[in-house]
Amino acid sequence: MASFTRLSAQATTAVILALAEQPATWRYGHELCQQLDLKPGRLYRALMRLADRGLLEAAWESEAPADRPPRHRYRLSGPGRVHAAKLAAGPSVPAKPARVVGGIGRRPRLEGT
Amino acid sequence: MNRDKRIGLLGGLIAVVGAVVLAPFLWLWAVAAWLLWRAWWRQAGVRLWALDGPARLLAAATATLPADRRDWGAAMAAELAQVPVQERAARWRFATGCARAAIFPPGGTRAAVGVAGALAVTATAAAALATGAVLPARRVFAPTFVGLLGGLATLAVARSHRAGWAWPGAAITGLGLAGVAACVAFLGYYLAEFPAYHRARVTAATLVSLPPVTAAVLAVLLAGCLWLALRPPRWLLPDRHARRFGVGMAVALIAGFVLTTSRQELGDQPGSEGMVFYLLIGPILVVLTGSAAAAAVGRSFRSGLWACAWAIVLGAPLLIAAWLAEALRWYQQGQGTVLDGAGGLGVGVNLGDAVWWPLVFLALWAVPLGVVGAAVGSARARRRRAREHGDLASTT
Repeated sequence: MASFTRLSAQATTAVILALAEQPATWRYGHELCQQLDLKPGRLYRALMRLADRGLLEAAWESEAPADRPPRHRYRLSGPGRVHAAKLAAGPSVPAKPARVVGGIGRRPRLEGT
Repeated sequence: MNRDKRIGLLGGLIAVVGAVVLAPFLWLWAVAAWLLWRAWWRQAGVRLWALDGPARLLAAATATLPADRRDWGAAMAAELAQVPVQERAARWRFATGCARAAIFPPGGTRAAVGVAGALAVTATAAAALATGAVLPARRVFAPTFVGLLGGLATLAVARSHRAGWAWPGAAITGLGLAGVAACVAFLGYYLAEFPAYHRARVTAATLVSLPPVTAAVLAVLLAGCLWLALRPPRWLLPDRHARRFGVGMAVALIAGFVLTTSRQELGDQPGSEGMVFYLLIGPILVVLTGSAAAAAVGRSFRSGLWACAWAIVLGAPLLIAAWLAEALRWYQQGQGTVLDGAGGLGVGVNLGDAVWWPLVFLALWAVPLGVVGAAVGSARARRRRAREHGDLASTT
């Protein structure tokens, strides 16, 4: 249970930091999975958790092509950006999360760090 | 004729009689299954059939999401569309991952889940200890019932991130609570007063009024009905007509039962036919017609189907409670069992009858009747709608 909790927390942290890279840009679930090398189950649980806490803005695509359904997109809300800044400034979290490699182990391993 | 031939003939005869007795039920179930399949195909089947395996898996998993998480299911499905169809392994990986998140979304805080789980375990243990000491005959029912309710409550806390829930309305909750409370009260009384009965005419044996299997079935039934009355799944809720008709049908089913038992009294002799006749006729009069009316008013097959579901969920505990109440009255008046009016048996025999017979008849008889009624009612509504469209088209 403890390791599961830690993994969930690390996935959430990784998602916040990834979204904080370009805070004004809307991001997509599949894209975040690929970028963070996260399993979709972990990613969506993290996104739901962030949305529940008011740290995430979620919106549907306004103009989707006719051949596919509209996608849900995400970016950090105001409190989410504040939280991301705190996380980035924290001692255990690198200031500039570029790309998490190797999924979520005990601590996100970041490229270029 | 030698003995083997006689046994063979007897076996064949029993099989033929069994088939003849069961044939109406089997036919009815076959028709009901076909109607359900046709309705499902019209509603979702065509769409689901066009999807590949991963998309179907995801659609099934996201259907279980709580109402306030529904958008997340659509979001996952939209993202699955981004994984090329040619990459089957990647699509399966994405779909199974999303399905896991849909089935186990982040819910209440771990502390709340832990507290709910601990309370459930404590309540179950307390129920087991208390009933073991005070009312040994109830030692299977009480812990099973409390444990199931505790488990369902813990699951609900784990899956929901917001306080409160979608309330099905005062009538449904009130009837559900009243039915289950009455059942539990009668059960306690029966087990305290008549924990066993004497089957004098048949084997002269003393039998337990509530055997463990019957107790477990009753606990599952009551816990399920209570849970549905308190916290129904989201797909049962939106249809207002279904809820109203369901409540009305449950009340009518019980009123019919009580009325019929009081009329039986006029015959006033032990050995009258009992209530088995009502179990056959009651669902035809109430569930078939009620589901048809609900479907016609709600103008959909689903309205009739959900009305039938509500009628059974609310009606089952009430029917058991009414059965046990009437059994006591019959017993005090020197009449036989409620099921078939048989005399020479203790009143405790009614406990098992009250659980199994309504259950069997509601499941085997009332459910398919409700499906057929819903189909008839929705067909009438469709014809009426078509006629209205025709009239409209001819006037314009």
